[in-house]
Amino acid sequence: MTVIEIASASKTYRRRGKPPLRALDGLDLRVEDGGVHGFLGPNGSGKTTTIRTLLGLVRADEGQLRLLGQPVPEALPQVIGGVGALVETPLFFPAFSGRLNLQLLAETAGVSRTRVEECLDLVALRDRADERFKGYSLGMKQRLGIAAALLKAPRLLILDEPSNGLDPAGIRDVRELVRRLGADGHTTVFLSSHLLAEVEQVCDHVSIMTRGRCVASGTVREVLAGRSSADVRVRVPDQAAARAVLERAGHRVQEADGALRVLAVASPSELTRVLAEHGHYLSELSPVAVDLEAAFLELTGEAA
Amino acid sequence: MTTTLAPFGTPAAGAGRPAPRPSLLRAEVHRFRSRRFIAVLLLLGTLGFLAAMVVASTQYARPSAAGLAEGQRRLDQAVAEQKAYRDQCLAAGVPSDATPDQYCGAELTAADFGGPEQFIAHEPFTLAEDGLDGALGVAVATAALTFLIGATSIGAEWSSRALVALLFWEPRRLRVMATKLAVLTAAAAVVGLLAEAAWLVAARVLAATRGTADVPHGFWGDLLGTGGRGVLLVVLAALLGFGVAHLVRNTAASLGAGFLYFAVAENAVRNLRPSWQPWLFTENALALVQQGGARVYVDEGFVDESGVYQSTGREVVLSNLHGGLVITAVVLLVVGLGVLLFRRRDLD
Repeated sequence: MTVIEIASASKTYRRRGKPPLRALDGLDLRVEDGGVHGFLGPNGSGKTTTIRTLLGLVRADEGQLRLLGQPVPEALPQVIGGVGALVETPLFFPAFSGRLNLQLLAETAGVSRTRVEECLDLVALRDRADERFKGYSLGMKQRLGIAAALLKAPRLLILDEPSNGLDPAGIRDVRELVRRLGADGHTTVFLSSHLLAEVEQVCDHVSIMTRGRCVASGTVREVLAGRSSADVRVRVPDQAAARAVLERAGHRVQEADGALRVLAVASPSELTRVLAEHGHYLSELSPVAVDLEAAFLELTGEAA
Repeated sequence: MTTTLAPFGTPAAGAGRPAPRPSLLRAEVHRFRSRRFIAVLLLLGTLGFLAAMVVASTQYARPSAAGLAEGQRRLDQAVAEQKAYRDQCLAAGVPSDATPDQYCGAELTAADFGGPEQFIAHEPFTLAEDGLDGALGVAVATAALTFLIGATSIGAEWSSRALVALLFWEPRRLRVMATKLAVLTAAAAVVGLLAEAAWLVAARVLAATRGTADVPHGFWGDLLGTGGRGVLLVVLAALLGFGVAHLVRNTAASLGAGFLYFAVAENAVRNLRPSWQPWLFTENALALVQQGGARVYVDEGFVDESGVYQSTGREVVLSNLHGGLVITAVVLLVVGLGVLLFRRRDLD
């Protein structure tokens, strides 16, 4: 089942005294159920507008959007019970305690108070739950926001930058929680993040946005495979002589990290042959892997 | 964070019990009752009322025989002085184009001065007159309080953006607004009823201890009507506060807008466009509550060809119905516009 489906969605913000801003430009996006789906994009690429549009806070100018199989915003009241969301900063009454803020939301949706305590426990806030929200640290506020998003035991959990403000231990815990949720067979996590390492570690699938469009989508492996560099790392005892040999053979060579990087190699075995013929025997020959960061920068046109 | 809980997607703990029914209304009542600033405002309002009653108890007194005799003596003296001035005026000669009463004024009697009670240090509290005036005053003061409560009830939600978070739970924006307005209306009505009831008790106590409880036929009906219209004003003021704060999305800004209107705009209208006075909020608020409506003097003076200001004007009677319709129309306009924009606008 597709939990998020967006087809040709466009949104332009009219701004006073400034030219209109096209936040979504014919966006197509599909998120299948299960697992953790990363949503990457540079600032201003349209990630938050996409999420706000799905949640009915922003109206798309064109396009079709479906959430849990239902068209939104028309059917949002029917599906919202299955969707938990934390969008940017948590939004709570500053003078209310963390517990009261959650209880008010729970009453709205008919969620039991037991569930409130369960969620407070899950984000390790139960001991501080009676303190006012405005006295919370940034990390505590973020954790309360995650607890609120989890109250409904949602089928689709939308988290927009959930690690914001968290300390390293908190970030680790959130990642662990997201992994657990994605693996529980019930929840699909849609994780918007600018932390590439986070997405790479946690997500099964990823979509990359830039300028209001989705430029790549699939499993992390698929997205990386599409950007394979075909570069090869070579390590030999006499690197200067080996480099000269390779350049004479028509290869482009760079020095990197104490080794040689041979660019765009069509046949690694050919390299082995050329070097061996000149008496250079390899201590390392390995493909240079493309990480998500490199793929992201290439796809979004932000590579140096 | 702990990781010892049941996995998500499994039934929550306590799932053996039936889950509570979703209730936006119950949550809204809970939210409203939990607002500390609203509780503080109500406490301050109560303290203000009690303080006003203490002050009132020092300003009224049931007159003693000696006091009444002293008042009668001063009254007789005032009547005699006025007669002497009039006689002096008449002796100086009355112009042929005027009558003696037009030129020197009519002869005043003791009744024109309001009786000997007017000449003693502390008047007695008369339930028949002061009861109605007090009901009006309580309504106006409580309306000011509920304007503030209405403004903060929605202004704080905008400031904290908790209103946006609520839409993740109930995306039907009209339903959210209708619920908030219903809770505010009920709360303001309760506050208004309690305030008028408190005044009724206080007025009875003042009449019993500091004056007279004698009332003419039909008084209780008039008092009930004034109190009821007062409660209506209190509710409309709360909705107006809500509407203004919802439009400007901030409590303080709504209070600033209220100050600008009442302190600047209304005074400007009274001075520059007096013929618009029958449409001002304050005049219509008084007209709504006051027994028999309100009388507004519309100054229509002008400077004649010779440069002399000719003072003239007319008195306009604003009925209870007029006041009610004008105030209701203003409230509907402000609240309706806010709700319409909330329904259509993109929210950050």
